[in-house]
Amino acid sequence: MSERAPTLVIDRASVAYGDVPVLEELDGVVHEGEAVALIGPNGAGKSTLIKALLGLVPVVRGRIEVLGTTPAQARRDVAYVPQADTLDPDFPVSVEQVVMMGRYRRIGWLRRPSAADRAEVAGALERVGLAARARDRFGTLSGGQRQRVLLARAIAAGPRMLLLDEPFNGVDAVSQHALLEAIGSLKEQGASVVVSTHDLAIAHLACDEVCLLNRHQFGFGPTGDVLTPERLRATYGGHALELRGDRVIVTQT
Amino acid sequence: MSWLDSTVHRALVEAVLVGVLGGVTGVFVVARRLPFFTMALTHATFPGIVVAAMLGVNLYLGGGLFGLLVVAAVLVFSRGRGQDFTTATGIALSGGFALGVVLVSSQDGFTRDLAAYTVGDVLAVSTGDLAATAAVTAGVLLLLALVGKELLLAAFDPVGAAALGLPTVLLDFALLAVVEVTVVATVPALGTILAVALIVGPAATARLLSDRIALLFPIAAAIGVACALAGVWVSTVWNVATGASIALLVGLVFGTVFLATAVRGRTRRAVPVRA
Repeated sequence: MSERAPTLVIDRASVAYGDVPVLEELDGVVHEGEAVALIGPNGAGKSTLIKALLGLVPVVRGRIEVLGTTPAQARRDVAYVPQADTLDPDFPVSVEQVVMMGRYRRIGWLRRPSAADRAEVAGALERVGLAARARDRFGTLSGGQRQRVLLARAIAAGPRMLLLDEPFNGVDAVSQHALLEAIGSLKEQGASVVVSTHDLAIAHLACDEVCLLNRHQFGFGPTGDVLTPERLRATYGGHALELRGDRVIVTQT
Repeated sequence: MSWLDSTVHRALVEAVLVGVLGGVTGVFVVARRLPFFTMALTHATFPGIVVAAMLGVNLYLGGGLFGLLVVAAVLVFSRGRGQDFTTATGIALSGGFALGVVLVSSQDGFTRDLAAYTVGDVLAVSTGDLAATAAVTAGVLLLLALVGKELLLAAFDPVGAAALGLPTVLLDFALLAVVEVTVVATVPALGTILAVALIVGPAATARLLSDRIALLFPIAAAIGVACALAGVWVSTVWNVATGASIALLVGLVFGTVFLATAVRGRTRRAVPVRA
């Protein structure tokens, strides 16, 4: 369908923690400049799939190919954005120190950041609209702002693929807008984006493709084709669902 | 005659060394929330000391080597199903200490050596102890200078560090080993029970004063050195236990700074980081 090069190929892949299978029989292809939303209820395996794309959880059957190689070997060009609230807000680290962590792999062991690294950090903070907060302690920022700092850290790494784990959870409108803008500009530069989210509206807004997950795959393809009431009901196991125009609301406990 | 032949001179040098070492290591201990692990290590290294005493080798070498085993055990146990780091630490603390007690009760005669080990006496440190503390301090400072940024990332965001391809298990082991050698090197001066004071106290106090990690290291080291020197002075002037004097001063400094910063209304969410 696309003439652009595939950056992510998932081929009948199953993922497991030890002998506990988490995800089974996944299939899908993502191309450069495309964004795919991972959608499914809590415990569906969205975070596990992201960890598998990073090579941190093993693929036990089938194949996952990232940027033409194994997930572990592709890490150099893949940036990961964790949920901001998984990080200790009391940790004595400044915003610019957090963003600089994105440069560590390029800086290498035993070396210190150069002026060029500092410029990349400043530029990345500029792109998420937080240049003025560079010297503040990370934990003093709001949840949405911390999420933007973590996106800036990923941007500073200069990735060809970006993996975001629930970046829009508990994020205010301003930060949501800033996150969407920054993700959009990365896509324009040719990066692929994989983002897990509960928010179907954001999936519509920011993503070209959707992967419906709940232990198994309930659909993978263009957003408009996949986000149907039937498929969502199947994915969410019959949780109440309302449709109003093109808006889909999933309620789950 | 060497300058180090004097008991007081040796005590002063040891005080400066353990002050720097405890303060610097403590910054990571406090940031990573490892005080319980540090406390546990002081107890879990006990059987190593006992075995060393039985074999007639250096007590701190015995404690140090056994401590590395304990660190490895904690890392392995904490990866078990349904386990976490604190649980594994609790197991290692009680298991290690119990093994030491069993070994001691099977022997007669060296309870006096071990009493010195639990309370510590900076006025009794040998030139060998000094050399060991100096080597550990130099080693820890060198390690932090070389891989400080990677240790910082692994401490702040372990999954993010793994996603970058950093060897997080190795970095965790390195950090815990730093804490372990710091505990062992601090024991001659403060004893097993009080060593934790000089590791946790100065860094916790520094944390009240600054949010900038680059400043925390020198502040904590300065507080550690000041408390250790003042403790030696207090104990010689009033003829009271040295280790306890140092630990007490650390507590007093923390309490004073806590009150002072509370009065200025900035104990929590302290000063925003400004250069």
